[in-house]
Amino acid sequence: MAIELEHYLILGALLFSIGLYMALAKRNFVGVLMGIEMMFNAVNLTFIAFSRFPRFADMTDAERLSGHVFVIFVITVAAAEAAVALALAMLVYRNRETIDVDRMDLLKW
Amino acid sequence: MLNQIPEGVVWAILFLPFGSFAVISLAALLGLTRTGSWEARFSGYLTMAAIAASFLLSLWALDSVLQEDGARIGYDAHEWVTVGSLRFDIGVTVDGLTAIMLIVVTSVSLLVQFYSQGYMRGDPGYNRYYAFMSLFTGSMLGLVLASNILQLFVFWELVGLCSYLLIGFWFYRDSARRAATKAFVVTRIGDLGFLSAILLIWTKTDQLDIGQIQHLAATGMIGSSVITWFALGLFAGAAGKSAQFPLHVWLPDAMEGPTPVSALIHAATMVVAGVYLVARFFPVFIVSEEAINAVVVVGAITAIMAASLAIVATDIKRVMAYSTISQLGYMMMALGVGAIGAAIFHLFTHAFFKALLFLGAGSVNHATGTFDMRKMGGLARFMPVTFLTTTVAGLALVGVFPLAGFWSKDEILIEAWAEKPLIFWTALAGVFLTAVYVGRMLFLTFGGEYKGGEASDHGAQANSRPAEPHESPWVMLLPLVVLATLATTVGFVNITGGMNDILEGWLPEETHELVAAGDFVLWISVVSVAVGLAGLGLAWAIYSRKAIRAEEVSAALEPVQVLLDRKYYLDDLYETVIVKGVIMRGAAAALHAWDRYVIDGVVNGLASLMRFSSEKYRLAQSGQAQLYGAAIFIGVIVIVASVLQDELLGIVGL
Amino acid sequence: MDSVNRFGPELILLAMAAVIILADIGWALAGTGAERMRRPALGALALTGTAASIIWSALLIAFDEQGEAFSGMIRVDDFALFFNFLFAGTAAIVILASIDFLRRNRFVAEYYALILASTAGMMLLASTIDLIAIFVALELTGISLYILVAFMKDGRSSEAGLKYLLLGAISSAVALYGMAYLFGITGSTSLDEIGLVVSEANGETRSALVLAMVFLIAGFGFKMAIVPFQMWVPDVYEGAPTPVTAFLSVGSKAAGFAVVMRIFLTALGDGSISSDWATVFAILAAISMSLGNITALVQGNIKRMLGYSSIAQAGTFLIGLAVVAAADPQLLLGTSAVLFFLGTYAFTNLGAFIAVIAISSKIGSDQIADYAGVAKRSPLLALGLTICLLSLTGIPPTAGFIAKVYVFNAAVQADLVWLAIVGVLNSVVAAYYYLRVVLNMYTAEPASEESIQPGYYLGLAMVVAVVGLLVIGIFPSPLLEASEAAARVFG
Repeated sequence: MAIELEHYLILGALLFSIGLYMALAKRNFVGVLMGIEMMFNAVNLTFIAFSRFPRFADMTDAERLSGHVFVIFVITVAAAEAAVALALAMLVYRNRETIDVDRMDLLKW
Repeated sequence: MLNQIPEGVVWAILFLPFGSFAVISLAALLGLTRTGSWEARFSGYLTMAAIAASFLLSLWALDSVLQEDGARIGYDAHEWVTVGSLRFDIGVTVDGLTAIMLIVVTSVSLLVQFYSQGYMRGDPGYNRYYAFMSLFTGSMLGLVLASNILQLFVFWELVGLCSYLLIGFWFYRDSARRAATKAFVVTRIGDLGFLSAILLIWTKTDQLDIGQIQHLAATGMIGSSVITWFALGLFAGAAGKSAQFPLHVWLPDAMEGPTPVSALIHAATMVVAGVYLVARFFPVFIVSEEAINAVVVVGAITAIMAASLAIVATDIKRVMAYSTISQLGYMMMALGVGAIGAAIFHLFTHAFFKALLFLGAGSVNHATGTFDMRKMGGLARFMPVTFLTTTVAGLALVGVFPLAGFWSKDEILIEAWAEKPLIFWTALAGVFLTAVYVGRMLFLTFGGEYKGGEASDHGAQANSRPAEPHESPWVMLLPLVVLATLATTVGFVNITGGMNDILEGWLPEETHELVAAGDFVLWISVVSVAVGLAGLGLAWAIYSRKAIRAEEVSAALEPVQVLLDRKYYLDDLYETVIVKGVIMRGAAAALHAWDRYVIDGVVNGLASLMRFSSEKYRLAQSGQAQLYGAAIFIGVIVIVASVLQDELLGIVGL
Repeated sequence: MDSVNRFGPELILLAMAAVIILADIGWALAGTGAERMRRPALGALALTGTAASIIWSALLIAFDEQGEAFSGMIRVDDFALFFNFLFAGTAAIVILASIDFLRRNRFVAEYYALILASTAGMMLLASTIDLIAIFVALELTGISLYILVAFMKDGRSSEAGLKYLLLGAISSAVALYGMAYLFGITGSTSLDEIGLVVSEANGETRSALVLAMVFLIAGFGFKMAIVPFQMWVPDVYEGAPTPVTAFLSVGSKAAGFAVVMRIFLTALGDGSISSDWATVFAILAAISMSLGNITALVQGNIKRMLGYSSIAQAGTFLIGLAVVAAADPQLLLGTSAVLFFLGTYAFTNLGAFIAVIAISSKIGSDQIADYAGVAKRSPLLALGLTICLLSLTGIPPTAGFIAKVYVFNAAVQADLVWLAIVGVLNSVVAAYYYLRVVLNMYTAEPASEESIQPGYYLGLAMVVAVVGLLVIGIFPSPLLEASEAAARVFG
C-alpha cells in the first residue's frame, strides 16, 4: 500500500492531539512544554507532507518549498519560545519551589 | 422690538454657562479657589453673571419669536462628522417652545444660583457646586436648543450625568450615594427606549433633524407602526427623565442633594426635559393614536398615584417630590389630550411656584436643621417671609384664583373636558388630593407649636442647632420674594391665549386641526377652585386640629378639667377621622408597597440574578491554566461542529 | 532600498532596542558615576525610538511611499500605517507610564528593549501578507510579552507569565495548524494567492477550509481575548506589572484584530466562507460581551475588572467583523468601525490603566474598595479615571460614545439588529460596574487624607490619554477619516 497524503495528515493529527493532551494534562511544566513542542512538530510534519504532495500539479518549486521554509522558521521560533519557557520555569521554581502547573493558582476568580 | 436674533447669539446662550463651568474648573485645578478666601466667592458670581447674560439673550430670542408668531427661526445646520454616506450635523433652532423653555430655565436657574450663595456658604464643596450648576444649566439649554435628535440625546445624557453628580453632592452620606445611583440607573432604562427610537427613525428615514422628522410624520411619509414605536421609545425616555409611572421611583429619593439643586431639578431642568421631549415631538405623537393614548394614560396614573403618596410622606421634600411627579403627570395628560399649549403653560407656571416651594423648604431647613415635618410646626411666627411666600406657592399649586397655578391648571381641565371627559374627572380628583397634601404640609410646618428641629449636618451651621429658628438671610429671601411675585403674576401672561399661539405657532400645518382648543368655561373654573378649597379645608380639619391636641399633651403640666373633658369629647370626634385616615393611609401604603416591592423588586431582582450568575461564572475561572487550555480546545470543537453540522450529519448518514 | 524604506518604522524600533541594550552595557562599563542618569536616559532613548517610528510612518505617507516590501512579504498600505501610528503611540504612552514604575527595577534597559521589540512585532502583524511572516511576527510579539508579564519576578508576576506563555504557545500551535491546512488546500503562503484559490474552490475542500478557519480564529482569538479563548485574561492582567497590562490590553488586542482582518478579509474574504466566519464572530461577540460584563460585576480587584471589561470590549469590536460579510457594502462600514473603535479604545484603556498605576502604587492595593475617597486625595486622577470609565461605558461626549454608536449602527445596517440589542443591553450592565468605581472614589471616606501625587511622566501620559479621548469624542472626523481610508484597503 502506497503511503499517501492522508496518512501523513492523520499521523500529524494524532501527534497534535497527543501533544495537546500532554499540554493540558501533565502536571509538571516541563512535561507541558514537551507537549507543546510535540504540537509544533505535528504541524511541521503536516507542512512537509503538503509540500511533498502538492495539491496543484502546476505549483512551482518555490511555492512547494515555502512549506519547507515555514518549517525552518517554526523550529527556530519554537526554540526561542522554549528558552523563554525554561527561564520562566526557573523563575517560578525560585518563587514557589515547585513547577507543578496545577498549583499555579494565586491568580483566580 | 429688536432685530431678529442672529445664530451666534443663540449659540452664546448655550455657551455662556459652559464657559463659566470651564473657567471655574480651570481655576479650581490651578488651586486659585481655596475655600473661605475671597476668590472662593468668585465662582458663584461668575455662574450668576453667565446665567444672567443667558437670560437676557433668551429675552431677545423670545422677542424674535414673538415677531414670527412662534414659528421656527431656522438656521442652517453645521456639518459635524461625515462617515462615508453618513452625515451628522449640529445646529440650533429657535421657536415658540424653545423660547419659553429658555426663559424658564435661565430665570429659575438664576434665582436658584442667587439663593445658593446663602444656602451653600461655607460648604467645602462650594466651587464644585457652582461648576456643576453651570454645567447643568448649560446642558439643559443645549437640550432645548438642539436642532437634531442625536445632539438632543447628547445633552439629554449630560443633564442626567449632572443631576447624578448633584444628587450625590454630599457623597459622604450613604443615602445620597444610593439615591444618585438609583436616579442614574432608572433614567438609563428610559434612555434605552430613547436610543432605540433614534436608531429606528434613523434607519427608517435617514433623518436626524427634528424639523424634518416632524415634517415627515405630519405629512404621513413615515409608516404608522414606525411612528408608533418611535413615539413610544421617545416616551420611555421621557418617562424616565420626568419620573412617570412606573419609572418614577428615583425622584423621591433624589431629595438627597442640596435643596437648591432639588429646586432646579424639579422646576426647570432635569424632570421637565421629559415633558419638553414629548412636546418637541408633539407632531409625531399626535398622529399616532396608540402613542398619544399611552401618554395620557401614564400621565393620569402618575398624577393620581403621586398625589396620594404625597399625603402620607413626612419629609417635606418628599411631599414636594411626589407633588412634582403628580404635576408632571398633569403636563403629560395635557399633552395626551392634545393640549400642547396648556401643557407647556403649566410647565411654565409650575417652574416658578415649585422652585419657590423648594427654596422655601430649604429656608425652613436652614432654620430648623430638619426636613421632617413632625419636628417643625409654628414656624409662621419665626419666619414670616418664608411662611408668606411658601403659602403663596402652595395656593398656586392648588390652583386658587388668581395665582399662576389657577390659570394653567384651569386650561388643562378645560381642554380635558373638551377632549376626554374621563381625564377631566381624573384631573379634578387630582386637584382635590393636591389641595389636601398642600394643606397638610402648610399646617404641619407653619401652624401649631415649634417642635424642636434637629442638628444640621452641612454648611456653616453643621452641628450647631440654633436655639430658636430664625428667618433666613436676605440673600435667600430675595429669590423667595421674587418667585412669589412671579407665582402670583405669571398666570396672567396667557389670559388672552397669546402664549398658546406662540407655543403652537411652530407646529406643522397638517397637525393644526389635531391640537385641542377648548374655550373658557366658567363652571369648570368655579368647580376646580371649590374642589381645591374643599381639600384645604379637609387638611385643616385633620392636621391643624390634631396639632392643637399635641400641644395639649406637651403642656400637660397644667391640666384643666374642662379641657380634659373636651379632649375626651374631641377624641370621640377624631375616632372617625382617624379611622378614615387609617383607611386612606392603608391605600397609600399599598401603593407605596407596590412601589417598593414590585417595581423596585423587578429592578433589584434582575440585578441580583446578574450578580448570582457572575458569582457562579467566576468560579470557572479557577486559576488552572490547563483548564483554560481545555476551554480553547472545547471551543474549537464546538465551533467546528456547529459550522460543519450539515457535513457531519451527512457523514453519520442523517 | 524601497523595501528597507517601507520597513523603516519597524526597523527603527528594533534598532533602538539594540541601542538601548548596548547603551546599558556602556553605562555598566562607565561605572557608578553616571548611574543617576541611566534610567531617564534609557527612557528617553525608548521614547525617541517610538517618536522616530511615528515620524517615519508619517513621511511614508507624505512621500506616497506605500507599497510592498521584501518580495511580497510586507504590504505597507493605509491599513498598516494606521496601525503603525496606533502601536507606536501606544508604546510611547506605555513607556511614559513605566518610567516612574521602574524606579527600583534593575533591568530597565531590557524592559524598554522588549517593549520596542514587541511593538515592532505588532506593526508587522498589521502589515505582513504572507503566512510565514505572520507567524514570525506573532511570535516576536508574543515572546517579548511573555517576558514582560513575568518582569516583576515575584510570585504573582511569574505565575502570570507562565500561564500566559503556556496558553500563548498552545494558541500559536493551533493557529499554525490552521495555517498548515490553508497552505495545503491552496498551495501558497501568500494571502493574495490564497484568496484567489479560495474564491475558485469547489465544495470538496470546504470541510478542510472550515477547519483551518476555526483554528485560525482560535489562535488569534487568544490575542483578541474573545470567548472561549479569553480565560487567561483576568489572571494575566492581574499578575502582570500594570504598564504591561495596559500594553497587553491595548496593543496585543489591537494586533490580534489587525491580523485577523488582514487574513480573513484578504485570504478568506470570499462569500462562500466569509458568511461562515461572520456568523461565528457574531455569536462569539454576543457571548464575549455578555460573559465579560457579567463576570466583571463582582470583581473586587480593579485590574481584574478591567480585564473582564476588556473581554467585553473585544466582543463589541467583533460586531464590526460580524457585519463585514453580511453584504458587500458593509465591508467598509464594519471594518472602519473596528478600526475607529480600536483607536478610541487605545486612549480610553491606556488612560484607565495609567490612573490605576498612579493610584495603586500610592495606596499599595488594587482593590476597588481601597479606592475609597480617592477623589479627595487626588481630584485630578479621580477625574481622569472617571472620564476614562465614562468613555468605556459609552457616555457622550467621550470617544467611547461615538465608537459605540458607530458599531451599533453598523450592526443595524447589516440587519444584525439582535446583535445591536445585545450590545446595548450589555452597555447597561457595564455602566453598573464602571460607575461603582466612580462612586467609590467620590463618595466613600478615604482611609487617609494624604494626597496622591502622580509623577511627572505619569501625569503627562494621563493627560495625553484623557485629552485624546475627549478630542475624539468632540471632533471625531480625523480619526473617522483615517479609519475609513485604512478600511478601504480591503474594499
